[in-house]
Amino acid sequence: MSREAYVAPTSAFNTGTTVDPGPGLTTQYICGDCNQKVLLKQGDGIRCKECGHRILYKERTKRMVQFEAR
Amino acid sequence: MAPARVSQTELDARKIVGVNAETVTNVSSTDIPGHYPGEDHEWDLEDFRNTFKVKFHKHQPFDCAFSLIGIDASIANAFRRILIAEIPTLAIEYVFVHNNTSIVQDEVLSHRLGLIPLTGNPAGLRWLQQYRKPTDEDPVGSGVQDVNTVVMKLKVECTKADNYDELNKKREDDPRLLYKHAHVYAKDLEFVVSGRQDTFFSGEANQIKPVHPDILLAKMRPGQCIDMEMHCIKGIGADHAKFSPVATASYRLLPTISITKPILGNEAKKFARCFPKGVIGLEEVSRSEAKQKGSGYEGHEGEKKAVVKNTFKDTVSRECLRHPEFEGKVKLGRVRDHFIFMVESTGQYQSDELFLESVSILKEKCASMKRGLAEYTR
Repeated sequence: MSREAYVAPTSAFNTGTTVDPGPGLTTQYICGDCNQKVLLKQGDGIRCKECGHRILYKERTKRMVQFEAR
Repeated sequence: MAPARVSQTELDARKIVGVNAETVTNVSSTDIPGHYPGEDHEWDLEDFRNTFKVKFHKHQPFDCAFSLIGIDASIANAFRRILIAEIPTLAIEYVFVHNNTSIVQDEVLSHRLGLIPLTGNPAGLRWLQQYRKPTDEDPVGSGVQDVNTVVMKLKVECTKADNYDELNKKREDDPRLLYKHAHVYAKDLEFVVSGRQDTFFSGEANQIKPVHPDILLAKMRPGQCIDMEMHCIKGIGADHAKFSPVATASYRLLPTISITKPILGNEAKKFARCFPKGVIGLEEVSRSEAKQKGSGYEGHEGEKKAVVKNTFKDTVSRECLRHPEFEGKVKLGRVRDHFIFMVESTGQYQSDELFLESVSILKEKCASMKRGLAEYTR
């Protein structure tokens, strides 16, 4: 996408991408400290609900990735 | 002009490559037509048949050493190069990663998987054909079929051992005991039969599996997992080293040592120490030798003299040429047409089979060259 074609999202409601869960939907993260699965909604504080650790990781893609064994 | 007669000693002397302290002499072979005026050196099949010899020194399934005697360096070198780069073997080529949460990156793990030597039913491995990759000219290639692709799976998940708490209390720190699948080994690779492959690769003994089951691929901790599918194809070493069927395939020329003047007493002991064990032996000077005038042994009856026992073991370190006391008493060399091959297989085929395979590949190459020439001159 060129710079000119890019339109910055004006509100939180129409970001237009599929990655964004939108309001009310949750995304799963993994706590960097206790490895617990953490479900976060938009606007939630980035914090593990179990141990309070502030570093969360996104899960690896479920898609298959192909490599050459070279 | 009638072919000139050359004595056998002269012919033998021509075969020796001289090895001096800093130089190597008489390197090129001269048994070619036109090199010596009046001598006939035309290559003759019958002659080759009579003089060519093969001698085995070591014959283990995956490690053998043998001599090819009476062959030109160009042919011997062709065999060596074919062994390394042109015999097709099976190896993992494509890796489909469904999940990999271990700390080894996908690319690195894929590369490691590719280098694992695989084995299986030899008849089946021969039945497999080479896979042609899609290219710009040939966008389809050979396609993935049962005759050119072997599928393998690696699906492991690390979990705590059943008696984890108990072990933890005992302060056990071996991760292999604390966790299941803490180490991922080559034996965790699973062969998946597809199509007609079951006629060759069914059963524990015949299935495609790693040669060495204990190659460490990755280490994991509870919660991590690896889930991959692999496609193994046949390829050649020229494309990638993982397809090379040999760990090493090399040759050396048989060393020669000729003691031209007697080496006696303590000097003989020192001379023997200049070589690996068993190359030089010590023998007593006999009475008849001591009596012989001009032999250099006069008056030395019963003393130790150095004799050449086994040049095969020599490394041609040239140590003896560094000592002034041996100057002019010894000549080192190598036999130009005596190739000692050492073929160490990675385990897919046996070493002796590999050499025969290299011969048949060279034959095939010659045939295609001949066809090409016929086409060209038509």
